[in-house]
Amino acid sequence: MKKSIILFIALLGLASVAYAADSQIWGEMRIQNILGYGQEESWKLGPLFTMLQHKYFAWIFLGVLIGVPAAFFIHYKIIGPKVFPHSEKKYYAFSLYNRIIHQVAAVSFLVIIPTGFIIVFGDFFGGGTFVRMAKNLHGIFTIPFTIVVIPMALMWLKEALFNMDDVKWFMILGGYLSKEKKPILAGKFNAGQKMWYWVAILGGITMILSGAMMYFLDFKMEMLHNLAGMSQIDLLRAAAILHNVMGFIVLALFITHVYMSMFAIKGAVHSIITGYIEEEELKILHSTWYKKLKDQGKF
Amino acid sequence: MDYARMKFYCDESRCIECDGCSVACAEAHELPVGISRRKVVTINEGIPGKEMSTSIACMHCTDAPCEQVCPVDCFYIREDGIVLHDKEKCIGCGYCLYACPFGAPQFPRDGAFGAKGAMDKCTMCAGGPLETNSEKERHLYGQNRIAEGKVPVCAAMCSTKALLVGDAESVSNVYRARVMARGGKGSNSPYGWDKAYKNQ
Ligand code: HEM
Ligand code: SF4
Ligand code: SF4
Repeated sequence: MKKSIILFIALLGLASVAYAADSQIWGEMRIQNILGYGQEESWKLGPLFTMLQHKYFAWIFLGVLIGVPAAFFIHYKIIGPKVFPHSEKKYYAFSLYNRIIHQVAAVSFLVIIPTGFIIVFGDFFGGGTFVRMAKNLHGIFTIPFTIVVIPMALMWLKEALFNMDDVKWFMILGGYLSKEKKPILAGKFNAGQKMWYWVAILGGITMILSGAMMYFLDFKMEMLHNLAGMSQIDLLRAAAILHNVMGFIVLALFITHVYMSMFAIKGAVHSIITGYIEEEELKILHSTWYKKLKDQGKF
Repeated sequence: MDYARMKFYCDESRCIECDGCSVACAEAHELPVGISRRKVVTINEGIPGKEMSTSIACMHCTDAPCEQVCPVDCFYIREDGIVLHDKEKCIGCGYCLYACPFGAPQFPRDGAFGAKGAMDKCTMCAGGPLETNSEKERHLYGQNRIAEGKVPVCAAMCSTKALLVGDAESVSNVYRARVMARGGKGSNSPYGWDKAYKNQ
């Protein structure tokens, strides 16, 4: 918690430095940019960004937006959801703290992702006030996500480390390709959830940092320039490319996460709202964890 | 009607770094503080024989990269090659700046959150998509001198005539004449033209 607040304050501090210092983009550095633009020895990030944004980014986003839900729709029709009785015993798995942190992240994502889309397809929405508002919301809802991302990373870190169960889980894709209810090896989180954990945390932080760079635009961070060996404008180009590419991944797994919790496992979403998971659901989908809890006499 | 292609050219051997062009531009268009559509930069400062100054603004590129990346498609390119954009459509995302070889697009901060406002750049004194010479056009984009048959203010003000603007052929002729007069030394196309106009 503290760390993320400090990070946030540091970013704000960075903004004030940005306005005070000499421009990193429109000052003397401008000549370097012009001379280096697209040259053999340069990073060629300008032409690269132009080509990717002009020809590919929007189409890939559209592909993910349609393709991933389409695959799940077929899955839902052919294999169908896993339904577990909701009257059986329940296990209290998520504390109030867990749930609040998760809900803040969830609400942030529910704003960040649709608004991100509105920006990507800004011409479809006609630009102007509406898309500008989406852009502002996209930035504003990054703040709550920034505050909870570190606490969320810490509270689930232990459960999200990969182990041998995960290899087996991946080999049968978590049993989601069959209708059978056979116990599946998995701890508190299965391999799919772990994958989402890492994408949401590491990918999320990448999105925050690359987004912040685009937001502040003209800041000066000697350390970052030296580390990356890039001029400010090239850093921004790299940030824009990264934000889009990481965006595809975050988006694809976000849709998956929503599908799994809302549709594929009927009612699983209740566990993060109330904190209780159905015993049946544990027994089948998280059998390693279930065994452990049983040994501890929790059931 | 066949339109001539408008181009900018700044002669580094004539530019004396007086900043006249950028001041004239800022005054003529009443630009907010912190925005300079045109800027004079000096490179290799203090190195004898290598020091030079030049004036940079949007070059109004052929196949303008800014136009290619804009997510709201707010750019439009006139038949004379001048690259303009619609500020009421622009969302201030910054993409055009990342694409631009000349660092031309700039972003005044606006609103309560200090987010990037609508992009601002040189219009070659050709205003914007609003009604020509209307109050609103002047407010958002500055003067529309082209519509009045006047030369863009920066080039008009340049005391050494380092900064030129005009149809491609006339500018190229002046450039060639000057290179010849200097004994034929120097590159065969003006600085930046390879990127801006692909040597066309
Ligand atoms: C964890 C997820 C994300 C975070 C934290 C995040 C954060 C940000 C931030 C802070 C900005 C700068 C906003 C500004 O300049 O005012 C930004 C820009 C942008 N984001 Fe995201 N973003 C995320 C996900 C996405 C996704 C999934 C998409 C696409 C669907 C997306 C598309 C964009 C675009 C196109 C921009 C550039 C336009 C702009 O600067 O406003 N973002 N993002
Ligand atoms: S100089 Fe930059 S802003 Fe001007 S037309 Fe070329 S790419 Fe666009
Ligand atoms: S800042 Fe404005 S003009 Fe530039 S790419 Fe974004 S929406 Fe288009």
